[in-house]
Amino acid sequence: MKTIPPICTEPETGPKYWRSLDQLAETPEFRQWVEREFPSGASECTDPVSRRNFVKLMSASFLLAGLGTTGCRRPVEHIYPFAKMPENYVHGVPQYFATAVTTRRKATPLVVKSNDGRPTKIEGNPDLPGSNGGTDHLAQASLLSLYDPDRAMRCAHNGAGEHKSAALDYLSGLSKTLGDGSGLAFLLEQNDSPSRARLQQAVAAKFPAARWHVFEPVDLDLGRAAASLAYSVPVEPFYKLDQASVIFCADCDFIGSEDNAYANIRDFAKGRTLDSKDDSLSRLYAVESLFTLTGLNADHRLRVTPGMVVAVLARLAINVLSPSDVDARLNELAAPAQPHDAWITECAKDLKANAGKSLVLGGYRLPLAAHLLVVAINEALGAVGHTVEFHQTAASKEGTLAELATALNGGQVQTLVILACNPNYNAPVDLNWPQAQAKAKTVIRLGYYQDETSWNATTHSDSQWDLPMAHYLESWGDGRTADGTYVPIQPLIEPLFGGITELEVLALIGGLTPSSPYEIVRETFRAVGGDDENNWRKFLHDGFLAGSASSAVSVQHDPSVFKQAIGGLKAAPAASKESLEVVFYRDSKMDDGRNNNNGWLQELPDPITKLTWDNAVLISPATAKELGVFTDRNAQNQKFFNYQVEVTLNGRTISGPVWIQPGMADHTVGLALGYGREKTGRVGTGAGFNAYKLRVSDNLYYASGASVKDTGDNSYELATTQSHWSMEGRPVVRETSLEQYRKNPNFAQRMKPEEPTDAEGRPVVSPLYPNPLDKTKAHAMHQWGMSIDLNRCVGCSACMIACQSENNIPIVGKEMVGKSREMHWIRLDRYYAGPVEDPQAVAQPMLCQHCESAPCESVCPVNATSHDDEGLNVMTYNRCVGTRYCSNNCPYKVRRFNFFDYNRHPLDHKHLYSSPLVAETDGEWELMRWLKNPDKGNLPEDQWQLSKLVKNPDVTVRMRGVMEKCTLCLQRIEQAKIAAKVKARDSDHIRLSEKEGTVPKTACQQACPAGAIIFGDISDSDSSVSKAKEQERTYKVLEFLLTKPRLTYLAKVRNPNPEMPDYKEHSLPYTTEDFNKGAFNEQGDSEEPAEKGAR
Amino acid sequence: MDDQAAIKVQGPPAELERVPLVAHQRGLGWLSDRIAGVIEGETPGWWKICFAISVTMMTVCFAMILYLMSTGVGVWGLGHPVMWGWAIVNFVWWIGIGHAGTLISAILFLLRQRWRTSINRAAEAMTIFAVMCAGIFPLIHIGRIWLGWWLFPIPNSNNIWPQFRSPLMWDVFAVSTYFTVSVLFWYMGLIPDLAVMRDRAKTKIRKFGYGLFALGWRSSNRHWSNYEKAYLILAGLSTPLVLSVHSIVSLDFSVSQLPGWHTTIFPPYFVAGAVYSGFGMVLTLLVPLRRMLHLEEIIRVRHVELMCKVTLATGSIVGYAYAMEFFIAWYSGNPYERFQFFQTRAADPFIIAPLMHIRPAPYWWAFWTMVICNVVVPQFFWFKKVRTCMIGVFVLSILVNVGMWFERFVIVDISLHREFIPSNWNYYSPTWVDICQYLGTFGLFFTFFLLFIRYIPLIAIAEVKGVTPQADPHHPLGGAKVGEKH
Repeated sequence: MKTIPPICTEPETGPKYWRSLDQLAETPEFRQWVEREFPSGASECTDPVSRRNFVKLMSASFLLAGLGTTGCRRPVEHIYPFAKMPENYVHGVPQYFATAVTTRRKATPLVVKSNDGRPTKIEGNPDLPGSNGGTDHLAQASLLSLYDPDRAMRCAHNGAGEHKSAALDYLSGLSKTLGDGSGLAFLLEQNDSPSRARLQQAVAAKFPAARWHVFEPVDLDLGRAAASLAYSVPVEPFYKLDQASVIFCADCDFIGSEDNAYANIRDFAKGRTLDSKDDSLSRLYAVESLFTLTGLNADHRLRVTPGMVVAVLARLAINVLSPSDVDARLNELAAPAQPHDAWITECAKDLKANAGKSLVLGGYRLPLAAHLLVVAINEALGAVGHTVEFHQTAASKEGTLAELATALNGGQVQTLVILACNPNYNAPVDLNWPQAQAKAKTVIRLGYYQDETSWNATTHSDSQWDLPMAHYLESWGDGRTADGTYVPIQPLIEPLFGGITELEVLALIGGLTPSSPYEIVRETFRAVGGDDENNWRKFLHDGFLAGSASSAVSVQHDPSVFKQAIGGLKAAPAASKESLEVVFYRDSKMDDGRNNNNGWLQELPDPITKLTWDNAVLISPATAKELGVFTDRNAQNQKFFNYQVEVTLNGRTISGPVWIQPGMADHTVGLALGYGREKTGRVGTGAGFNAYKLRVSDNLYYASGASVKDTGDNSYELATTQSHWSMEGRPVVRETSLEQYRKNPNFAQRMKPEEPTDAEGRPVVSPLYPNPLDKTKAHAMHQWGMSIDLNRCVGCSACMIACQSENNIPIVGKEMVGKSREMHWIRLDRYYAGPVEDPQAVAQPMLCQHCESAPCESVCPVNATSHDDEGLNVMTYNRCVGTRYCSNNCPYKVRRFNFFDYNRHPLDHKHLYSSPLVAETDGEWELMRWLKNPDKGNLPEDQWQLSKLVKNPDVTVRMRGVMEKCTLCLQRIEQAKIAAKVKARDSDHIRLSEKEGTVPKTACQQACPAGAIIFGDISDSDSSVSKAKEQERTYKVLEFLLTKPRLTYLAKVRNPNPEMPDYKEHSLPYTTEDFNKGAFNEQGDSEEPAEKGAR
Repeated sequence: MDDQAAIKVQGPPAELERVPLVAHQRGLGWLSDRIAGVIEGETPGWWKICFAISVTMMTVCFAMILYLMSTGVGVWGLGHPVMWGWAIVNFVWWIGIGHAGTLISAILFLLRQRWRTSINRAAEAMTIFAVMCAGIFPLIHIGRIWLGWWLFPIPNSNNIWPQFRSPLMWDVFAVSTYFTVSVLFWYMGLIPDLAVMRDRAKTKIRKFGYGLFALGWRSSNRHWSNYEKAYLILAGLSTPLVLSVHSIVSLDFSVSQLPGWHTTIFPPYFVAGAVYSGFGMVLTLLVPLRRMLHLEEIIRVRHVELMCKVTLATGSIVGYAYAMEFFIAWYSGNPYERFQFFQTRAADPFIIAPLMHIRPAPYWWAFWTMVICNVVVPQFFWFKKVRTCMIGVFVLSILVNVGMWFERFVIVDISLHREFIPSNWNYYSPTWVDICQYLGTFGLFFTFFLLFIRYIPLIAIAEVKGVTPQADPHHPLGGAKVGEKH
């Protein structure tokens, strides 16, 4: 617009020049001339009704007219303030509550974050004695199950929906009709809840004739049964792995699939901690048929067929037990292990040399007699009282599922109450459970899902009530941890779908008052923790009752028990190509099938096979070749179209895809339980095959005499997150033996390839991508960094789920994983080294390395990824247009791209490839849906409403076309900073400091039970991360690229026994010379799936 | 018309005589008639068939873009660690093809290579359409296509400028400048010919259409003088662009640190490859066209031979560059580089892998296709018999383009699928959308090209007259003679 000079208010001074005589004369003609001709358009400014003004006025009036009409009005939204503000509630600030999750008998104490009334993140309770706040992936992922749109949402009678009050009335009415309880049977899962035990007693008192049965398809509690037998008093073992310097595992995956694994990892990692070269290191021997996490972490691993495990154990017993206890039967049992004699003898020597500090563990798959043998060996080693304690426990009085089936078939049960179990899916097939269950006149089922045991039209009782179970975050309960500490289960949210707990059902059936779960738990607490209200409050606040842990009882071992028991042990016939041995195992993610509809877990790669969304028929490479079902992945271009085989056992057949598993025992077939569900939610449907169909009561975990037949069909694709198994001699994970480490404490540094040098041989020190913010580092308050101790990390994957939960990482589905599009920000790389039949494996967490000279930053054309002055490589999602150049230039490939709108697609992903221009959702054109609500995507309404709730409000939910990656939990850092600033008030004390406990933990660090991940401020020389980085084992992955990662690793040190026959002299590998030798001279057998060994 | 050929002219001795650029000493009027006749004659049947096919394929191209935009980049076969797939391969390939036109019209013009006149118009048109096809890919391959304009330095409310350190940014400038200058140069050269078409037009629509674009060209001396100066200036401007655009495209790769990408010889190597593939494409197009449109007398075997020689020269540079890459990978001693070249590219399952006792490279076939097409195939052009056999040249020129496509595939995808950390490694394969998208751009290209040969003189009439002997005023037939058309 034309600027009109302001009118000069001061009288003009100085001489006045004139232009012409006309101006001097100020004639009207001159004025007109000036106005018209000289400053062009001057008259426009003075004319009040110029064209310009007219247009201005007109447009303004149109605009106002438009505003007046309804077309531009926003919809009216009423926002009501809190009429009553809850005490201590600040909007937007999350609250934390202590609670616990129970799996089988043991509870895991938790602290759960709640944002505006919805639980959003699960963490371990760090306040318990000995706890570091770590949890396992199952506890972390249980959050997603809370918001599962497929969970049971209504009460139903014979499949038809009923109002909840009708169901509750029915239950309370039932108690009056049951008489003394004859014909009433309860089927329960294992649980150590004192409240449940109390109610059980009360109900049993009311209905003395009622039957009680407990069923766990995978029973991890054999140690208790064995100890109770061996000591003739009801006791259970409690292992103190941190005290053990030599651990021997007989088919016992105490790191992965055994009970209380997260605590085992924590204690085991303590023994694997190295701060200097003089520190001692525990030693782990593993004897196993599958390749497990324990085998991955073992210093010596012996792979034997399942039938051989007992023989090895017997042979160990012969070496360890006093000669008086060794009888002929034991010798007979030990005979098949003769080929491994040298291994076992040296192992036994080591165990005996460390008597009192050694420990033998037996896995849940072993028969009871073998567990008795384990107890005897531990007694002989003097472990009892040192590395294993026996705690008093309640004797289990309940019957088994088989007994219940007999009773049902005998018509002795009219009313069957099934609490949480899913026997129609996971009962041994020989029980023919569905038919047995249908024989009960009335079935009352409390279940979290509408699953196989829910009412179905083909086989059913006369009357079946299905009740929706409440999630543990929705209702009250209690439990005991492994050491017996009493913990509360405290709800954070009202039941989303009106679910009820088993406590309520028991109370209602028993006609007990009060029947509200809160009152039940409160009353139980009175007996345990006293009547004082303050105690109760402290109990809820702390999340545990201090001093309630069980203490060790002194026990007297009776060797005759095991001698008698092993008499009944049958030696398995030698396995061969025709007669294979089968191992049924608890899946690391699905457990026994209960987590089947949890997308986070389905997509979490198995820690060893790295398979997602499936189980497979695990076979060793040699056996696969023998059977003719070997797949050379390279020939197939690394697509996993594996052989589909039929596994036949005792006339029953299942079929599944083969997975070649290096390190498996030969002539052994591994079958993971928990897949192939017939009736489950949208996530679990179609995942894997059902191995329960081969399982009979006699051989729950091991069976022999199986055969494998190729079906000729290899069109089934398995999705794995890691298709290349060898490090190709690259120093990605650096590892050596303790002996070598002591000689060369800086071995990790020596393993790096030669530094790049210039023409004169000086090292090149300027990176390819200099950081423009390098100078500002000096002024920044903090410098964030991370150190990951590979010696502590066991590869359990808890960090992956923690990260997924914290950072709103979507699941992408099996097909997308098959295309390598999984979104995990932190992944666990698993490499094999050594011979393909019997390799050693190692796991490495890999996440954004936060390079100081980040290759991703300078190639982004839109500045979407950049550095902050505290050393974080940050990602601006709004700015990202998705050229994916950053990922191409990232040497660690830790950036993840949203190829589709994963957050806004249905769980079954059938819409992934359909264009919204033509597709429909819920019968509505997707483009129309998008116009109405652009956020919803093509999610059905129920999924849309629920999927919103699980999201962390502090982290952006990314849309399609956007790159994302680890931020080192920037949101937690910022929250901590804000909190520090609020607290500082007028002072300038706003620096976060580890000493004061104000430095936040990243989600992965928080979840890590091993304490392997250390995050902190590296500008603070006292911080634990700074100290970790000072260790000689510190190395950076690909340091020669001079990207200067802020994330460093502490190299792994194993502790092999030099006396062992499989001991190999570790020379320093990974130098450039070694590499060159490896790259060009080493034999890489083109038939071996594990490719070339790393050494 | 053929009666003019009867006039015989005393030429230099036979051993010194050059093959004339236009056969049979055709008169100037004949040239105008023959070239304009392509446009003015009946629409040939083969043209209609080709056009129908091309338009169908072009529709596929747009349908694929629509599908991609509405659904997501996931419809392509990309995944970790291969984040750039066919889209970038095709982009580099089309851009490479777009090199010949401007090279012929600008560099050969500055070097006074008179033989360029018969082929420069068609080659330039090919360049423009190829760059259009190329330009589609970087635009649509990004995750959020609707925000693609953020790559341009446009002041916006985000108050953030693009990152000038990123080679993708340089790409945006290099390709758009190249395209603009190429179009201007092409159009400049067209003006006199459009005027010819205007003057010959028999219908009003044609008269108006050609007249509009002829910009009032009257063929006056002053017009010609200005025209020649402008043409020279644009030729001077285009020449560095020919070299810069593919150099900058190559920087997309060499600025990164990936083994196989991070290579300093990329800029010259890419330019040589581009010229190689560009000439290959010109041959692929013109060898059949000269026959179908009966232009053998104007686009002569000599032209084809000369182009074959350029192809041979640039193909040999490309072969040398391959050898250098391997040598440097070995000589540097960098194990990652060595792995990339020897184990990931060259190791075929029959000879090298068994000899070196290593696993065969997953994409060995792609690498060896590239080597055969780009190193072995051009060597046939040493033989005059091959150079003058039109069917042979046509087949080999197609192999040249196949080889160059594979070269880009080898560089982009083979390098990516085996990079630093083995746990990432994975195999990449395209989906049907990738393939249809690529085929669709052929539809786009040929639709434009067919329209071009039907509506625009595909040989520069004015220029080609300039290289006939008659153009010399001292020639017995030269100069404006009374009663002669010109």
